[in-house]
Amino acid sequence: MPDNKEPKADFSDVEGGSSSTAPPAARTHTVVKGDTLSKLAKQYYGSAGQWKRIYEANKDVIENPDLIYPGQTIKIPEA
Amino acid sequence: MIRTCRMGWAAALGLAVIGVPACKKKEAPAPPAEAAAPAPAPAPPAFAVLAIEVGKGIGADKRVTAPGTTFGRRDTIYASVATEGAAPSKTISAKWTYQDGQVIKQQAETIAPTGPAATEFHISKPKAWPVGKYKVEIAVDSAPAGSKDFEVK
Repeated sequence: MPDNKEPKADFSDVEGGSSSTAPPAARTHTVVKGDTLSKLAKQYYGSAGQWKRIYEANKDVIENPDLIYPGQTIKIPEA
Repeated sequence: MIRTCRMGWAAALGLAVIGVPACKKKEAPAPPAEAAAPAPAPAPPAFAVLAIEVGKGIGADKRVTAPGTTFGRRDTIYASVATEGAAPSKTISAKWTYQDGQVIKQQAETIAPTGPAATEFHISKPKAWPVGKYKVEIAVDSAPAGSKDFEVK
């Protein structure tokens, strides 16, 4: 029996960007598997010990600082 | 002699004409109004999305130059979000989807607007867009703020 299903469109090569006339408030980071607040603090500030800065800026979306989820967009306050 | 007299009368008449209004008593100038207490500065408007537009080009003001909803397969597609109001931090996000529900791209811009602003998002595809219907959904701090449908032909 032939498979009548159309192949799924491939969007893997889509590129994009964004900008605004308003000043930036803070950077954002979309959480991927393996991310932790300490890891992000190390990545953005050079020190894992500054994880609390990220947590404080995202208390509205992070209930438990030990639990962040892939796909979450979190704000990274300016260094 | 006669000539002098005539000129004298004319001069007198002229003075009289001019003199009449000059004699009118000047009205006293109105007393200056009491300085009213300065009105409190109006509160800045709450942050809100005013318009969402899509198009093929963007200006320096981050507004779409020629709004439209039909694109070619090699076009870069721009979405511009016009906002008003001030806020210390607002995250405007764009979610681009294809007609089959696939999420093509998600983007976010976190801004600290001090008044009217425009934020743009754009996507492009080197291998050409599949023809079909698309949608861009805009959210502010994860709350839906509007969407725009468009088509690639």
